[in-house]
Amino acid sequence: MLASLKLLDLMADKSASMAKQWAKDVVKNPKTPYYHNSDQDKIIPQAADFYQKLSRVYTDKDPFTAIQGFMGKFAEARFKEKVPLQEALYSIILMRRHIWLYAEFQAIFITIIEQHQALDSQLRTILMFDYITYAFTEKYWELMNLEFARKNKK
Amino acid sequence: MQAYAAKLIDLIELKAENIAKQWAADVMKHNRTPSYSSLPLDRVIERGVEFYRLFRQMSLADIPYEAAKTFSWRYAQECYREKIPLHEAVYALILLRRNLWLYAEFQGVFVTALEKQQAVESLNRTILMYDYVSYQVIEKYQELIKEDVDKKLGSIKTMMMSKPISGIKSIYKSGLMGILLLGACILTYYYHATLGTGVIFTHLFYIPIILASIWWGKKGIVVAIFLGGLILTSHVLFLKAVPFVDDIIRALMFVVIGGVVGWLMDGIKKMEDLYKATI
Repeated sequence: MLASLKLLDLMADKSASMAKQWAKDVVKNPKTPYYHNSDQDKIIPQAADFYQKLSRVYTDKDPFTAIQGFMGKFAEARFKEKVPLQEALYSIILMRRHIWLYAEFQAIFITIIEQHQALDSQLRTILMFDYITYAFTEKYWELMNLEFARKNKK
Repeated sequence: MQAYAAKLIDLIELKAENIAKQWAADVMKHNRTPSYSSLPLDRVIERGVEFYRLFRQMSLADIPYEAAKTFSWRYAQECYREKIPLHEAVYALILLRRNLWLYAEFQGVFVTALEKQQAVESLNRTILMYDYVSYQVIEKYQELIKEDVDKKLGSIKTMMMSKPISGIKSIYKSGLMGILLLGACILTYYYHATLGTGVIFTHLFYIPIILASIWWGKKGIVVAIFLGGLILTSHVLFLKAVPFVDDIIRALMFVVIGGVVGWLMDGIKKMEDLYKATI
């Protein structure tokens, strides 16, 4: 777990830079067409905030509850913006990829020991994103059903 | 990357059923995938084996994303048919990936320093595969919801003439309604003025009344009011000797039927709009 701290520091300190890299990718990725006409100034803070919040729960013993909390709000915001679910989820996948790409670009895992740490960091990141994916999809599904029930009552 | 991942691919191919059994035991009792608990064990294992075999297919394919589609679409279709909520279907995929990794660790596949390095590469490959599959499953699952709704609303849509007929949808409806109303006027005149009777023919008026309500919802009640007014006026003019009560009841029934059908159709239209907006 301690080995993951290197990646955690990077995420907390460089959230804005990571978010910028992510934004450049998401606005032209063929799997996220919704974002193609998005204003980068509007979406960069979303990703930066996401990285910040993730870095805060990264070392928690039970991060799921905290993740459910902030991903619930994240899902609500994307739902209001009418981002299709698969695209919203793919944008999150791209966020995860950019953590790793940024770490590689910054060459934070160079020595043999650091290479070992890389595996540990990667496993931790994957676990976090498994929780994120589940919490996000669950909330989005709930919102879709609520929207349906609300309109049906009218 | 392919050489690094080869060790894991070989293991998966050889032990697909064992890993799938381990996954089945996990997914069927996991608190985030409760819908799986009631599925037949054999079927769950079979699905796991399909996923693990996909790993080899994707590693050999020129475009791995395309290679994943066959599995992803079938997986989405089966989950949808079995009424497994989307978030549970996605979490089951996460467990598929996780169990693969757990099995590799348990078998001590990556022990030495070099093998640890290979592990990172293998892990990247499994994650990439999962990324593609989860995206395709979510996309397909939503497509299936939409298709299902479209199918259920299909016959109603046909009745409502929602599909444009050579771009003259609205004129076509109005024209047809005009002809039907003209026919109703002629029939009324013929029966009331020529034959001097008011029997049976008014049942035919329900055709334009119901069609108007289907096409225009509550607004279609105008047609029912017009036809009700028509038989009452005609009665006053041509059937002075016949009691008035029957035609008053007929006219009232036109308005009631037109109103009820219109109200129901407005509800169906609202449901359709809702599905279009939500999906």
